[in-house]
Amino acid sequence: MDIVVIVLTVIALLFFFATTVGLLRFPDFYSRMHAAGKGDTLSSLVILLALVLYNFHEINLANLLVAMKILLIAVFIFMASPTATHAIIDAGYESGIKPWAKNPEEESP
Amino acid sequence: MIWQLDLSILTLIVICAFATIMVKDLLSAAIIFGAYSFLMCLLWTEMGAVDVAFTEASVGAGVSTVLFFAAVHQTTRRVRTRKSGRMLAKVFALMAALLTGLVLIIAETDFPGFASPFTPASLHLSPYYITQSLHDTNVPNIVTSVLADYRGFDTMFETAVIFTAGLAVIAILRRYKRDDRCDLPEPYVISEGYPDTIIRFIARQLAPFIQLFALYVVAHGHHSPGGGFQGGVILGASFILLAISYDSRMIIGIMSERLNILLGNIGVLIYAGIGFLCLLLGANFLDYSVLSKVLPATDKIMARSHGMLGIEIGVAIAVMAIVISIYLNIISHGKYDKG
Repeated sequence: MDIVVIVLTVIALLFFFATTVGLLRFPDFYSRMHAAGKGDTLSSLVILLALVLYNFHEINLANLLVAMKILLIAVFIFMASPTATHAIIDAGYESGIKPWAKNPEEESP
Repeated sequence: MIWQLDLSILTLIVICAFATIMVKDLLSAAIIFGAYSFLMCLLWTEMGAVDVAFTEASVGAGVSTVLFFAAVHQTTRRVRTRKSGRMLAKVFALMAALLTGLVLIIAETDFPGFASPFTPASLHLSPYYITQSLHDTNVPNIVTSVLADYRGFDTMFETAVIFTAGLAVIAILRRYKRDDRCDLPEPYVISEGYPDTIIRFIARQLAPFIQLFALYVVAHGHHSPGGGFQGGVILGASFILLAISYDSRMIIGIMSERLNILLGNIGVLIYAGIGFLCLLLGANFLDYSVLSKVLPATDKIMARSHGMLGIEIGVAIAVMAIVISIYLNIISHGKYDKG
């Protein structure tokens, strides 16, 4: 059980790392939000899953309730985080931020 | 307490605090201030003060950031750069700040050491609360019993302060006549925007669950962190979420201004009314144990618990109404706010 928890946490941390790198290195607003939205959601889910498993050292009703609450948080993140990303990107699109193009003179469609 | 974690969080807090002051873009400043609040919340959780952390997360990081956004949306985003002010004034301000700091440092030496176990408060008061709270009031969460029972009078006036804040916002911002709204700067509108289906759908789906969670926070405050203030703020936040993703007119349709003010009044009235009920039954103000005479099937201890629940509900109603009415008053100048 402990090994599974450790593996899940490490995976989540790797995703978080990738998210941060993407946020810092990507060239424009949209690709940055793409990295932040996807990486953040997935790594939060994985780390919450790790917490649920870590909670089950012994199985009883209290632990089950805590696990349910953590899973509810996971569901909430799964719904709210992509929506927030969508809202931010939408607002950026409407305020007229140009997507990045490799060749600035070339008109992107 | 892990001191490495403490140290890194504290460093980040100081950085955030400076960044909030230095940043010229007010919207960024509001976002950084939200991050500052979340870091404070982390720090408090780490120190074991979960109730305070909960309040900070819901009030400081959640609602006040939204209120800042609304205010920025209604006014202007940029800081007006002032040409270098008078030197004398700056020197005077620096002197005043240094002097106050010096006085505070001198006064600090008279205080007992931080969290010293030998102060009067730690010797008599805290052990009593910690050991007797469950026995006295049947409420496992000590914070709730201290807040709502042992110093209930204090909390009543905190609720009154929030109510007064709402009244002040209404008095300053609310304009009943249409003709005197002229010299405000036009709110910068990103775009009128088309109604976004995804955001609306998700907001509509989430709002009932947020409200359910808020009720849970209010009712379960006896056993876990939470209580009237946090629950009320979360309730208000669910309405604000709908107002942002839809239209503030829709929220005004549900919670009209009259209803809001009425609810704020009712909330404070419930709190004070329970206090007066105790007086009428022949005990001290807010001494809930006497409520066992009117509540069926309770002894004196459970009556204290139920009395706390009653005032928590009052607090929650008042806070919810005030939060919504502050938001609506700030935003009502705008036409359509986009998520």
